[in-house]
Amino acid sequence: MIPDGRTPVVVVTGFLGSGKTTLVNQLVRKESDSLVIVNEFGEVPVDHALIESSVEKAIALPNGCLCCHLRGDLEETLIGAAMRRRRGEIAGFDRVIVETSGLADPGPVAQTLYADQALARDFKLGPIVTVVDASDAGSRKVSGEIARAQIAAADVVVLSKVDRGDAARAEAEVRDLNTGVHCISASFGDVDPAVLLEVKPGNHSFSHTATHDSAIRSFALRFDQPVRRELLQQFISTLVDLRGPDLLRVKGFVPLESGMVAVQGVRHVFDRMRPAEGGEPALVFITNGVEKSEVEALWQAMRRLGS
Amino acid sequence: MFLNMKLLAQHTLNGFGGMGEGMSMQLARDGRRVLWLAHESAPKNFTAVDVTDPRKPKVIVQTDLPHASMRSNSLEVAGDLMAVAYQVTKFGLKPAGFELFDISNPEKPRSISTFDASGPHSRGCHQLWFVDGKTVHMACADPEQKPRNPKDDQVYRIVDVANPSKPVAVGRWHLPGTMDGDDAPPPKRLPAKFDAGFRAHNTNVYPERPDRCYLAYIDGGVMVLDISDRARPKMLSHWTNSPPYNGFNHTVLPLFGRGLLVVSDECVQDNGADWPKLVWMLDARDETNLVSVSTLPAPPVDAFKTKGGRFGAHNLHENPPVPGAWRSENVVLGTFFNAGVRAYDVTDPYSPREIAYFVPPAPEKSKTGQIQLNDVFVDDRGIVFTVDRGGGGLYALEMNV
Repeated sequence: MIPDGRTPVVVVTGFLGSGKTTLVNQLVRKESDSLVIVNEFGEVPVDHALIESSVEKAIALPNGCLCCHLRGDLEETLIGAAMRRRRGEIAGFDRVIVETSGLADPGPVAQTLYADQALARDFKLGPIVTVVDASDAGSRKVSGEIARAQIAAADVVVLSKVDRGDAARAEAEVRDLNTGVHCISASFGDVDPAVLLEVKPGNHSFSHTATHDSAIRSFALRFDQPVRRELLQQFISTLVDLRGPDLLRVKGFVPLESGMVAVQGVRHVFDRMRPAEGGEPALVFITNGVEKSEVEALWQAMRRLGS
Repeated sequence: MFLNMKLLAQHTLNGFGGMGEGMSMQLARDGRRVLWLAHESAPKNFTAVDVTDPRKPKVIVQTDLPHASMRSNSLEVAGDLMAVAYQVTKFGLKPAGFELFDISNPEKPRSISTFDASGPHSRGCHQLWFVDGKTVHMACADPEQKPRNPKDDQVYRIVDVANPSKPVAVGRWHLPGTMDGDDAPPPKRLPAKFDAGFRAHNTNVYPERPDRCYLAYIDGGVMVLDISDRARPKMLSHWTNSPPYNGFNHTVLPLFGRGLLVVSDECVQDNGADWPKLVWMLDARDETNLVSVSTLPAPPVDAFKTKGGRFGAHNLHENPPVPGAWRSENVVLGTFFNAGVRAYDVTDPYSPREIAYFVPPAPEKSKTGQIQLNDVFVDDRGIVFTVDRGGGGLYALEMNV
């Protein structure tokens, strides 16, 4: 057994009006041991006693990319919640649900959890849940890059308002960007929390390469034999150096000589490799314009040169 | 207050919910799981709880002590045999020692024999270890010896109970210098406010090393004893944290596959008066040279220390080598009185991590106004059972890590 007592942080994202708050309200009604953090005061209040508020700040730093600047209060709120839990000032919680603003890229939340050692002691990234309004494809087209980033980053997509929209068309749109994602249909946020919350990040099945027209690419790099840890680290490091900002999500399992590890990254920030049990030996890439052939060529070349 | 632990049930044990540090599971012949519990003080001796369904624990038997100037405190089950420790409050009283019961019919425990350790310098038995059905290892006074200081009466004793109707004392060991007639000088005592005695507490022996006793000796530190000759145990190594710490070493839990010992102190004073009381990780790859490498991270001290009752380490789940018990070399569970029951990942012994805890609210009529979790036992289903020293009785928890 590999014990891991860290509390999962479920990220719920989706466009304004897509039904995020309705979904979160339903989740906390069914799974009461959740701490909810909203990063904006939303259109619909979240009715839970443990609600916390956090307004992410954009802090202009002289160097680095934008996704690193969107942290601030979320980090502070999470660390504060863990401290208050340990001190008995709040009863306790078994998961955190972060509801991002409609225009936010969920990537920075994931990065915050990977990059902050103090935070990573108590928390781990849970599933990224993206709510997609099946009845409103139009608004996604207006801010297409953000909508695509939200869908690309998802572990689970909840198709909302399926009673009013074209669920099949919305699902096709989703799968075009994120082939292996779990898709759940819902009316008024009514989903089975177990199905939604128990999905492990990076635990994707992945069948084929997407064929959409945008720059988003999603593909899998498979590993048919164990690899050296140092070589894998160099490979990821090289990819990050060359195209870090375009690695929207990298996740999966890689067989090392010492056993399987879980690999997770968002843009240029990767979580520490952690021992894992099971899982298909493959890394799923969701990228902005980085092609499968390029990643495969890099890996094959490094494997040949490094063996 | 919780992290990764959920309350399944609480049972206040018919209003006698002040529990000691004896928790042992019997897999009964009819398929039931029966948890046997020792009480902290009179009037009750022991209670058996059917925990087959941990959400619905049922008391199936509860027994009385013969008088109020004694307590059982500790018990162990091996198959259908149960050994119960008897400790008296004044020197010379009886019964002092232990009693063996046939519990093949859990509703009707039947006394088989008693082992008498009473005497003018004896408070009897405080704690015992009985996992193989043949041998009782215990912290118990020996009437043949006179301690130089009356607080040092309970030594390590080995009693052969292969014939349960006729227990036979076969070996003993005490810290040199503590008994009349010893060549060694008396050990230097801790300051009076912390002086709890140089005497045995937990006396663990495992099938992985039947020739070793992992002994905690209250103010005297901890020892690894060679007991290959049971009549003449020999000390192989000795580690102590006191002074400068405040004594009361309680349990030594070996993690054989890891070359580690986990050592718990016991907090015995309210409101942090004897803080710090910790759980220590020792590197025991060389059993003759024990090296402290870390302590389990304490709960936030300022939030618990003076909130009432005891705060600090006490019992550990001891990986008892018996059917029905959970065993782990990576996860250590302990009770911390008002800070509840806590689980730690010790995969990296240099950097243990807290991974779960549960702190119940104070039980009704609690003298301290706080929960005082005293002991913990984890069964092989992963159900965590813990007991309150006040009146809270038994708590069944589900751990999710």
